[in-house]
Amino acid sequence: MTTTGTGLLSGNGDEQRTLIVVFLRGGADGLSLVPPVGDDGYYSARPTLAVSERSALKLGGANCGLNPAMSELHQVFLEGDLTVVPAVGSNDETRSHFYAQDLMEHGGMVAGGWLGRFLRYRDGAVPTALSAIALGKAMPEVLRGAPAATVMESMATFSLGKGGGATSKLQAELASLYGNDPTILGPAARDTLQALDRVAEIGKSGSGPKNGATYGEDSFSNGLRQAAQLIRARVGLEAVSLDLNGWDSHLAQDTLITPMMTRLSEGLANFRKDLGGMMAKVTVVVMTEFGRRVAENSSFGTDHGRGGVMFLMGGGERGNVLGKMPELETGILVGPGDVPVVTDYREVLKPVLMKHGAGGAMGKIFPD
Amino acid sequence: MKNERSDLFSRRLFLRGAAGVALFSTTSCDRVEDFLGMGLKIGPCVPPTGEGVDLISHVINRVSFGPTPSDYARVKGLGDSEEAAVAAYLEEQLNPEKIADYRAQRAARRFEALSAPLGEMYEYKEEFLLEQLTGATLVRATRSERQLFEVMTHFWTDHFNIDSSKEDCKWLKAADDREVIRQHALGNFSELVRASALSPAMLWYLDGRENRKRKSEEKPNENYARELLELHTLGVKGGYTQEDVMEVARCLSGWTVRGKKKFFKGKVEFDAGSHDDGAKRVLGHEIAAGGGEKDLEAVLDIVCNHPSTARYLAEKLCVRFIADEPSADSIDEVAQAFTASGGDIRKTLRGVFATREFLKGTRGGKLKRPFELIVSALRVTRAEVKSEMDLLDYLVRMGHAPFQYPTPDGYPDIASPWTGTLLWRWHFAVALARNDISKKIVVDEAKLTEEAGGIEGLAASLLGRVATAGELQSVERAGEPLAMILASPGFQWR
Repeated sequence: MTTTGTGLLSGNGDEQRTLIVVFLRGGADGLSLVPPVGDDGYYSARPTLAVSERSALKLGGANCGLNPAMSELHQVFLEGDLTVVPAVGSNDETRSHFYAQDLMEHGGMVAGGWLGRFLRYRDGAVPTALSAIALGKAMPEVLRGAPAATVMESMATFSLGKGGGATSKLQAELASLYGNDPTILGPAARDTLQALDRVAEIGKSGSGPKNGATYGEDSFSNGLRQAAQLIRARVGLEAVSLDLNGWDSHLAQDTLITPMMTRLSEGLANFRKDLGGMMAKVTVVVMTEFGRRVAENSSFGTDHGRGGVMFLMGGGERGNVLGKMPELETGILVGPGDVPVVTDYREVLKPVLMKHGAGGAMGKIFPD
Repeated sequence: MKNERSDLFSRRLFLRGAAGVALFSTTSCDRVEDFLGMGLKIGPCVPPTGEGVDLISHVINRVSFGPTPSDYARVKGLGDSEEAAVAAYLEEQLNPEKIADYRAQRAARRFEALSAPLGEMYEYKEEFLLEQLTGATLVRATRSERQLFEVMTHFWTDHFNIDSSKEDCKWLKAADDREVIRQHALGNFSELVRASALSPAMLWYLDGRENRKRKSEEKPNENYARELLELHTLGVKGGYTQEDVMEVARCLSGWTVRGKKKFFKGKVEFDAGSHDDGAKRVLGHEIAAGGGEKDLEAVLDIVCNHPSTARYLAEKLCVRFIADEPSADSIDEVAQAFTASGGDIRKTLRGVFATREFLKGTRGGKLKRPFELIVSALRVTRAEVKSEMDLLDYLVRMGHAPFQYPTPDGYPDIASPWTGTLLWRWHFAVALARNDISKKIVVDEAKLTEEAGGIEGLAASLLGRVATAGELQSVERAGEPLAMILASPGFQWR
């Protein structure tokens, strides 16, 4: 195990792949994010909320487009780095935020989260100090069962203790005692101390966003900025969980979610710009617990539905539109008039996890 | 919590009134706290003086969640020689019903939801029950005098793992902990397996409740049957076949749990109409047709008495108490004790403690898992813990929150899966020593050091041996003795 500044700390060896899972909590309206342009059923069900065919941003020849509030993300699609999955979701029929989020984060009617199981069981899993991070206040269900995971709101969480001088003395003595330790804790300690040093470097000059990326000040953009810093610092980060909350648009939907879409789009585009060529080994997955009712309600909002939307960015994969947006005729809608689930979210995740080294563990990650 | 303060205050007043002022006029404030179950038993701290871990420290570390500052002297006083003292200590711990444990019991009483009848569990919010269970688990591990009993409770919790986040286990795991795990932790293995097989939480967790055969084309659900053989009894290399798994599933078909919308929800019952009542053959034993619900007893009898089960259990116990890779001799001896006693858990443990490897083998060779690290630190520092939940964050970050392991095999009991936890072990050590975890977890380093007779004594009390010159030098240079010792390699092992 090397102790030089260029050593690899990630459990996935030279690959240094990182998975960023962005959860849009509240049930994002797939039909606004990815409007089914040219579908008469859509326009008649959404007299005030539909995105016009003229204003929607084209996704090649697909029968759906992107909301005009997401022009930065559209540029990512045009550059071949974004996959859009319409009408995707789980088999949840409760339309309850809690149950649907739980189900999607657990990966079925199973205990623990799929990301936690991925980290624990993937081929050659060697969890390190900074393998998994949840950016936020609490550990999300998706990371439940991870062998080691850190919840943090800011990078300051990592440095040992709250003090300054006294702690660095302590750290030096830990290095000395563990440096001589003949057990398996010796090398583990050296990796950990090195990760601490690298995190300490972040925040010093030159570690800000690169390539002209300019993140917003909101907590989502801030989280992405810190994730990019940690990826660049090569501290062994394999998975990041990050939420963008507030998609439950029962009322005045446009006013509510247009700024959210802009935030999502700008945040992701800046993250990609920031990491540049490193994006080939970083995959961002964007998901939400369910989509919303096709027909708008009387308060210019929409209610809980089924099929929603997912995005995949980066990972060195050529972007496209995955699966298809069904034509929203009355006959094919499910329940009280919802977009059917054409693509199961797990089928979208599986190839991503394989690329990130799931190997023979897929049966444990998604046991259903 | 605010009401905890006022609760303490009112109890104090109540006790003053009920027990009389005289009781308190002669006792110090510490004693009052002690009496109320707020702190550990206060005895003299006499740290070990050996350069290596002696037999007494070794045995305390292996059969408990670590010593309190007074344990070493207390155990040493139980016999004329180290061997005699240790033998007396083990015998004491093997008979928990004879150990008065008012303090821990009183402290655990705060988690009153856990004593609710099964049906009433559903009335609580699910996260509340998990909190109560986690809190009670930490309280008992930290404060109970019945340490071996608590250690075995943890052992069986992993062995019969149920992740409480799966569906109705959110409510039912609390009853499983009480009526299966704690009820039989030092009892008979067959009875433990039987209780687990009929535990509503287990029937939910491993889908046993869905195991039914009402029509000829219906296939029984094999999930529980497989884990019963693979994880609970014979072990994955125990010599059963896929055919055996399917036959066991047929035997257990029909056992189910009443669903949410019914009266007596959570109640376990046998539905004869969902049972496959044909003849079966399990591990070479014929089970005649028409056995109905008695098929369950037949299956458990076969699997609990199978020689592979004795060996598998013996190996797991040796891994817990002896080494990550125990010798074949030790496993054989313990398996014999298991078989000879008909699965009596105490007698099997006596077999473990009698092996040469347990008594003479490597000392300090088992890595403390995160839960064990945290509890051992709280015990040895006599930490005053008023909110156990403030510790949960550390357990979650180290991937060892009780009742939250995702798959049926339970948290691993060997060192290698835990090496990624060092950063948070250090964070915990520093935060505990600096009283930075929360205002409700308090350690008095100055007092501990004084009682141990100085920093060298403190180090010996924590490490179970005299610190090396290198360790003492680091402790001195770091300038924070308690944080440094808790974070050092020596404190990570047991």
